Amino acid sequence: MKKILLYTIIFALLPASLLAKAYTVDEVPNVRRINAREYVSDPEKILSEKATMRIDTLLSNLEHKTGIETVVTVLPSIGENDSFDFAYSLGKAWGVGKKKKDNGLIILLVIDQRRIQFATGYGLEGVLPDAICKRIQTETMFPALKNGDWDTGMVNGVQAVCGQLDGSMQNDGSGNNKGMAGPFYTIFIFLGIFALSFALIYVKNRKANCCPKCGKHQLQRSGSQVISRSEGIKTEMITYTCRNCGHKVIRQQKTYDDNYRGHGFGGPFIGGIGGFGGGNDGGGFSGGSFGGGDFGGGGSGTSF
Amino acid sequence: MNKKRILFVVIALIAILAIWATSVYNGLVSLDENVGNQWANVETQYQRRADLIPNLVNTVKGYATHEKETLEGVIAARSQATQIKVDASNLTPEKLAQYQKAQGDVTTALGKLLAVSERYPDLKANQNFLELQAQLEGTENRINVARKDFNDSAKQYNVSIRRFPRNIFAGMFGFNKRAYFEAQQGAETAPKVQF
Repeated sequence: MKKILLYTIIFALLPASLLAKAYTVDEVPNVRRINAREYVSDPEKILSEKATMRIDTLLSNLEHKTGIETVVTVLPSIGENDSFDFAYSLGKAWGVGKKKKDNGLIILLVIDQRRIQFATGYGLEGVLPDAICKRIQTETMFPALKNGDWDTGMVNGVQAVCGQLDGSMQNDGSGNNKGMAGPFYTIFIFLGIFALSFALIYVKNRKANCCPKCGKHQLQRSGSQVISRSEGIKTEMITYTCRNCGHKVIRQQKTYDDNYRGHGFGGPFIGGIGGFGGGNDGGGFSGGSFGGGDFGGGGSGTSF
Repeated sequence: MNKKRILFVVIALIAILAIWATSVYNGLVSLDENVGNQWANVETQYQRRADLIPNLVNTVKGYATHEKETLEGVIAARSQATQIKVDASNLTPEKLAQYQKAQGDVTTALGKLLAVSERYPDLKANQNFLELQAQLEGTENRINVARKDFNDSAKQYNVSIRRFPRNIFAGMFGFNKRAYFEAQQGAETAPKVQF
C-alpha cells in the first residue's frame, strides 16, 4: 500500500520536473550585478563550467579592449515569445552597451525553440552587420548546436564574434557612469558649495561684528593679549572696538599655535587628502552595471 | 498710488503668462521634433528594405526562371512604395495610412517571393541568397523597432498637447494630434502558399 502511494507521488511529480520553465525578460538573472567579470546568464546550468569560464574570458578581453558589453544567456524556454523580441527587450531593459557608443550585444540560445539569436546595439550594426551574424551562426555554431553540443557551439560562436569585433573600436572608458554625473553636473555642485560657503561665512562675520550696545555692524579688532599656550593651542583675549559708539568687547579665542613644534600636530590636514581617490573602479571582483546602451533592431537568428 | 499698483500687478501677470507660454511652446516643439526624428528613422529602415530588393530579385532570377510573375510583383510593389514621399510636417493620418498600405504591399510581395523560393533547393543553399534573407529579416526587425519608437514618441507628444492646461496653447500655436502606426490588416495571418 505504501509503495503504491510512493510510486504514485513520484510519477505525479515527474512530468512537472520535465517541463521547461518559460523565462521572461525580468526573470533572466543579471549576473553582472553580482560580478562584473561574469557575462553568462545560465540559470539552469545548461553550459559546462569550463565553457562558461572560456566565454567569460573571451568577453572580458573584448570589453577591456573595445568597451563592448556582451550578455550571453542560455534559456531552456521563453515560451511563445519571438527570440529577436526577447533578445532586443533584454538588451534595452538592462541597457547593455556604453551609453554614448550603444555597443551592446546579446547572444541568446533558446533550447526548446532550437534557436540562436544575436541582437546588436546601434553602435555595433556597422562592425557586426546582420549578414555577418548569420554567417557566424551558420558556419561556427550551427553544426555543433544541431547535435545538441551547446558548449562547443556557444564557445565557437563567441570566439568568432570576438574575432570579428577585435580592433573594431577603442575602449576609451567613456560612459562608465550612466550619464547622470556629467562634467556640468559636478561643476554645478562645486559652484553651489562655493556659493553656500561664501554665504555662510558672510553671515557669520555679520553676526560677529554687530555691536551689542548700538546695534551697528561696526566692531573692529583693536588689540590682543595671549593668555596661555599649551599642547599647540594658543588662547588669546581679543579686544573689539565699535567704530560707531566706542564700546569695547573682549572675546576669548583659541587657535592652533604656529610656533609649536611638538608631536600630535597635523590635525585637520592629513585626513582630508585621502578622500578624492578611488572613483571609477568599475570591474574587478565586485558587481558592475551596464552603460545604458540602446538597441535598434540589428542582429539575426538561426534555427537549428 | 492704487492705480499704479494694479498696473504693476497686471504687467507682472502678463509677464509670467508670457514666460510660461514660451516654455510650453518650446516644450511642444521639442516633442514634435522628436516625433519627426523617429519618423525619419522609420523611413530610413523602409528605404533600407527597398534597397535590398533589387539584389534579392537578381539572385532569385538566376535560379527561379519561371517565377516571372512573383518577381515582377515585388519590383512593382517596391517602386510604388518608394514613390510615396511623406514629410514629417505633413504627416496626416490619411498620408500615414497610405504610406503604411504601400509598405504593406511590399511586405506581402516579399512574402510571396520568399515562399516561392522555398521550392528551389539550389537557391536556398546559395550563400548570397542566405545573406540577403538574413539582411531582410534584420531589416524587418529594425522596421518594427522604428515603428514602435515612432508610436512611443507620438504618444508622448499627443498626451502633452491634449492635457490641460497645455491644450489651450496647443491649438493656438497650431500643434495637431499625430497619427500612430496601426497593426497591419491581416498581419496576423501568414501568407498561404498555393502549390
